[in-house]
Amino acid sequence: MGVPTVPMITQRFKELVTTISYKKGIPNMRITYTPHPITDRPAELCRKYIAGNDPLTGKPMLEEIYEGLTKPLSAEDSRAGFLKREPRPRLLPPDTPEKLQEYFHEQGFTDGNPVILPTEEKVAQMLKATSRKPDEWVGQMRPSPPHEAWYYTVEMVAVNAVMAGAKPEYFPIILALASKGVTSLFSSTSSFARMMVVNGPVVKEIGMNTGIGALGPFNRANSTIGRCWTLISRNLGGSGKPGETYLGSQGNPLNYGNLCFPETEEGLPPGWNPLHVQKGFKKSDSVVSIFSGWSINDIAWYSPLPQHEVIRGWLEHFFSFGTSQATLILDPIVAADLASNGFATKEAFARWLAENTGTPGWLYWSQHPKEMELAQKGVEPYAGWLKQGKGAVVPVSRYNRKGYPTRNQAFMASKDTNEPTTSIEIVVTGGGTNTFWSGGDFGYVGSASVDQWR
Amino acid sequence: MKPKTIFILAAILSGAFAWPQARTADETKIVVMNPRGIQPEIRKIPMAPRPSTLDGKTVYIVDTKYPNTKPFVEELHAALKAKYPKTTWILRDKIAGYMDDDPELWKEIKEKGACAIVLLGH
Repeated sequence: MGVPTVPMITQRFKELVTTISYKKGIPNMRITYTPHPITDRPAELCRKYIAGNDPLTGKPMLEEIYEGLTKPLSAEDSRAGFLKREPRPRLLPPDTPEKLQEYFHEQGFTDGNPVILPTEEKVAQMLKATSRKPDEWVGQMRPSPPHEAWYYTVEMVAVNAVMAGAKPEYFPIILALASKGVTSLFSSTSSFARMMVVNGPVVKEIGMNTGIGALGPFNRANSTIGRCWTLISRNLGGSGKPGETYLGSQGNPLNYGNLCFPETEEGLPPGWNPLHVQKGFKKSDSVVSIFSGWSINDIAWYSPLPQHEVIRGWLEHFFSFGTSQATLILDPIVAADLASNGFATKEAFARWLAENTGTPGWLYWSQHPKEMELAQKGVEPYAGWLKQGKGAVVPVSRYNRKGYPTRNQAFMASKDTNEPTTSIEIVVTGGGTNTFWSGGDFGYVGSASVDQWR
Repeated sequence: MKPKTIFILAAILSGAFAWPQARTADETKIVVMNPRGIQPEIRKIPMAPRPSTLDGKTVYIVDTKYPNTKPFVEELHAALKAKYPKTTWILRDKIAGYMDDDPELWKEIKEKGACAIVLLGH
């Protein structure tokens, strides 16, 4: 900004703010800390906090702010130049396999599980699966927008692919994924999860599981490609150091494998396009598509209602941090049921859902204080909605793009522009053993061609 | 010595010699590749020179608008005004959400303000 500034932050984020200040080039930034949390605290408590001391330095809070803005600078504070970074040797010092495993864990190179040690021989085998040169840049990745981006080459991605246990034939998918620059360990206090869907001929070529248990731990390609995303995120994207570059309060178990699965294209009803075709690719292209969200519900339930009504009801009452987006993962026989009930395309079903879902009253009114004010003044249609009771469903869909606030583009990293008319995405996978399906708050982020990385 | 006994002894002896070999195999050192990416350079930014006093100066208090933190921001504004009345304290909201940049506001602060306090999260 160019003027003396004191940032204030709650004490819980000391590690984060210290690290960010350093990486932004102001290692001695004068920060005043407050007790944590500040959200939803009453004014009287805030007054007490402000009259008290910085909980970390012990100095009176107001005097510390004043001092931060007026105390003369040291020679170091005024110095320009460059700050020290860790060197990055291509090879690590020789050691026994057992000690190297421990070293990898200690350095935060792993996901907490054992890894395949990336010897030069194994990495060379991996590199044979692409025509790209080892020193070619693949992309950059950061934990979240305020953080710095790290850069990586084809060889660096190959090292992580070996560690994950991937076969060389999986490598073009992993490179395509890495080229999107989207971390699987997004740094937010809400614990994000990611999902990746593979489409096209590559699915059969490498033997991904599109059938029974497609979302489960039963196939090397599904498992290791998904796992590799987390290793890439930690090692190439500078993500995943709790307190500094990862802040998810509880963490998310989906991050181990990142919901990596292929779409069951042969199980799509006639007229239902595969995901990659919906996103502008040819059916013969091999493509990886990325989604971002938090959670997934597995809906294993028998109902006298038709599937579209069950899904509509679930969507209407579904609540999570990402309340305005959803992805349905349908078993092929659920997709067939829907098609036989008149939904000729995925898009037609998504539109029907967006047009026929409302918002639970408790959620709508808590997020729309201005509309509540209008309702209380008798302004329609709000007054009529409120008259039904605060808990009654309000006929406003959360999944209709039209008129809905645009999401923060930076928050979603590299979001592509081919937005659907609804925020509901539909993917088909599974073995058809029952009419079950899954749904979650995942939103589409983008797709990348696998063929370009062969 | 019977052939069977000789065979057993030979097997034991070969096992005895093989055992240290198996142990030493675990001690073999290998070289592995670094899985880390390239970190960017960090250019150090000199801090802005400080005024000796805030008397007669204008200080902006910038609310980044993290949800449900307004009471703290307003109480801070009131407390600073009460404790340092010779300073003009201006409370301003940053545009949009807490993750969005606001270059217009930074420009205004640089033109009209002497200092800034930026807060808060969580």
